Amino acid sequence: MAGATVASAATLHLPHIDYLSILPVLIMMGGAVLVVVVSSMTRRALGTSASTALSVLTGVAALVAALFQWHSVTTHGAKVTIAGAVVLDGFSVLVQVTVAVAVILSAMVADGYLKREGVDGPEFHALALLSASGAMVMGSANDLIVVFLGLEILSIALYVLTAMNHKRAESGEAALKYFVLGGFSSAIFVYGIALTYGATGSTNLPQIADYLARNVVADNGVLLAGMALLLVGFGFKVAAVPFHMWSPDVYQGAPSPVTGFMAAVAKAGAFAAVLRIFVSSLSTVRTDWQPVVTGLAVLTLVVGAAIALAQRDVKRMLAYSSINHAGFILLGLEAADPRGVSASLYYLFAYTVMVIGTFAVVTVMARDGDNGHDLEDYRGLARRQPLLALALAVLLLAQAGAPFTTGFLAKLQVVSAVVAVHGYVLAAIAMLSAAIAVFFYLRLAVVMYSPTGSVADPVPAAAGGDGEEGGGGTGAVTELLTFDRGSDAVPGLAVLTGAPPLDDVAERRVTVPVLTRAAIVISVAVTVVFGIVPAPLVDFAHRATLLFH
Amino acid sequence: MADYLPILVLMVLGFLFAAISFIASALMAPRKRPTAAKVAPYECGIVPRIEPPTRFPVRFYLVAMIFIIFDIEIVFLYPWAVVFHQLGSFGLVEVIVFATVVLVSFLFLVSNGALTWGPAARLERALPSRTSESTISRIAAGLAPAGDGDRSGTGPGQAA
Repeated sequence: MAGATVASAATLHLPHIDYLSILPVLIMMGGAVLVVVVSSMTRRALGTSASTALSVLTGVAALVAALFQWHSVTTHGAKVTIAGAVVLDGFSVLVQVTVAVAVILSAMVADGYLKREGVDGPEFHALALLSASGAMVMGSANDLIVVFLGLEILSIALYVLTAMNHKRAESGEAALKYFVLGGFSSAIFVYGIALTYGATGSTNLPQIADYLARNVVADNGVLLAGMALLLVGFGFKVAAVPFHMWSPDVYQGAPSPVTGFMAAVAKAGAFAAVLRIFVSSLSTVRTDWQPVVTGLAVLTLVVGAAIALAQRDVKRMLAYSSINHAGFILLGLEAADPRGVSASLYYLFAYTVMVIGTFAVVTVMARDGDNGHDLEDYRGLARRQPLLALALAVLLLAQAGAPFTTGFLAKLQVVSAVVAVHGYVLAAIAMLSAAIAVFFYLRLAVVMYSPTGSVADPVPAAAGGDGEEGGGGTGAVTELLTFDRGSDAVPGLAVLTGAPPLDDVAERRVTVPVLTRAAIVISVAVTVVFGIVPAPLVDFAHRATLLFH
Repeated sequence: MADYLPILVLMVLGFLFAAISFIASALMAPRKRPTAAKVAPYECGIVPRIEPPTRFPVRFYLVAMIFIIFDIEIVFLYPWAVVFHQLGSFGLVEVIVFATVVLVSFLFLVSNGALTWGPAARLERALPSRTSESTISRIAAGLAPAGDGDRSGTGPGQAA
C-alpha cells in the first residue's frame, strides 16, 4: 500500500505517440479483428468471400496509409517516435508497402484455394493479416525488443497458417517442423538480444550505434557472440544456408497460398529487421560481421541453386529457389551501405510480387487436394491453358533474372552494390549461381511448353524430362521459343474463340478462380511493367534510405 | 548482491511450494495406489496387447483456450489497475481496446461452439453449403433442435 502511494505521487511519463508511424500496423490488426468479429456474428456460408473482401480492403487501406507515411517522410523527414521504439522513414514505408501488397495478392489467391479445399472460414485471412502486421512492426522497429515482438507476431501466425489445411497430413507435419525450428531460432535470437544488450547497454538501435561509435570495445567477446546469435536467429527465419533445413519441407507441406505468403512476408520482415540492425546500428563493427555474412551469402547462393536442380517437386524446387533469392538479398546486407540496402529493399519488393504470383499458379495447378506438384503435372500446360503457362513462364523467367522484368533489375542492383564495395568474387559467385538457377527455372518452363505426349503412362514422359536435364541451356531456350510461338498460334486461339479443345486436354484443365486470375495478372503486370519502366520503383527504393547510416 | 535477494527468496519459495505439494500429497492421498490390474480396461478376460485408442472431446482444448484468454487479460489488467491514476484516460482507452480484442477472440471461440456442451453431432462445424435459407428451412422442418447451438450461441446464456 505504501508503495502504491509513493508511485501515485510520482508522475508517469507517457511517450508521445505518432499514430501515423504505426497506422498500417493498426489497420492490419484492426482488419484481423474485424474479420473475426464479422465471421463470428454471421453464418459461415458467407464467410470466405466476405472475409476475402475485408482482407483485401484492409490491405488497400494499409497501402493508402503507407502512402500518407511516404508523404510525411518526404516533406518532414524521418522521425523516431513512441519513446524511440518505432521509426518512420523511407525504409519502413517501403517495407509496409511490400507487406501490404503481399497481403492483398495472397488474400486473392487464398480465396479460391479455401473454397476449393473446403477449409473456408475467416481464419486464413485473420491470421495472414496478423502475421503481416508483425512483418510491418519489424520493418519500423527501432529497438531490438520491438524487432522481437514483430518477429513473434509474424511467426506464431505463420505456424498456424502452415497447419491451415487440416485435411492434409503434410500440412500438420510442416507446421510442427516450422514451429519447433522457429521457436528454437526465436530463442537464439532473444539470447542474441540479451548479449548485445550486455555488451552495449541498450536495446535501442540508435543508442547501440552511439555507444559503439563513442567507445572502442576492447574485449568484445560478448558483442561478437550477441551478433553471431542475432545472425543465426535471422538465418533461420530467412532460410540462409546452414539454417535452411526446414524450408523445403515447410514450403512443400504448407498450403500453396500460405507458402507464397510465407516466402514473401517472412523474408520481407526478417530482412528489413536484419538490414536495419546490422547496417544502421552495428555498422561501426562491420569488419566483424561482414565476413560471416559473406560466407552465409556464398553458401546460400550456391547451395540453394545447386540443390534446386535435383528437385522434381515444384514446390520444393521453389523453396530452394527462394533460398537462392535469400542469398541475393544477403548481398545487399554484405555491401552494408545505403546503396546495398536500397538494392535489397527493391529485391524484396520484386521478389514478393513474383513469388506470390508463382505460387498462385502452383495453387491452381495442384488441383483439389493440393497434391499435383510434380514436374510432370506441368507437362503440356501450354497446350491446355496457354495463358496460365505464359504467366508462369514470365514469372519464372523473372525469378531467373531475365531482362525487362523486375527480377533482372533486382539482381543487377544487388550485384552492382556488391561490386561498388569491391566484392568482385562475391559478385561472380552470385552471377554463377544465377546462371545455375536459370537452368531449373527454364526446365519447368520447357516442361510446360513440351508436347503432352503420352500423359497416360508417365514413363516415357519422365524419360523425356531426364533427357532435357542432360540437354543443356541452349537447346532448352530454342525449344521454349519454338513452343511459345506454337502455343500462340493454335491453343491460344482456341481459348479466345471458346472452341472446344481435345478431350484429354479438356479434362486435364485446371480451373482458375477469378480472384486468383486477377492476382496472377497483377503480379505479372507489376513484374513486367516495372521491369520495362523501372524508374518509379527504383527511385522509391533509392530514396528509402535508412535514418542512420 | 542485495538486489538479487528477492529473486533468491522467490526461488526458494517456489522450490518449497513444489516440495511441500509432493510431500503433502504423499502424506494425505488415500492409500489406494493403482496397480496394473486395477487400471486395466477389463478385470477379466483376455489381457489387451495394445493400448486401446482413448477418445476425449476436443472441446476441452477450447475450454482451455477460454481460460488462457481471460488469464492473459487479467495479467495485463492487474498492473494497469495499479497505475490507473497515473495513466489516466489514455490508459483507460488502451485497456478498453485491449479488452475488446480479447472479447472478440472469446466471441470467436463461442461462435465455434466452445461453450456448447452436449452430443458432438451438434457441434460439427457448418458445411460450406449451408446458407441462411437452408438453416431456416431446417428449423421450419423441425430437424434442428431449438437454439442450434453451433453459431448463434454468443450470449452468456450459453455459458451459464
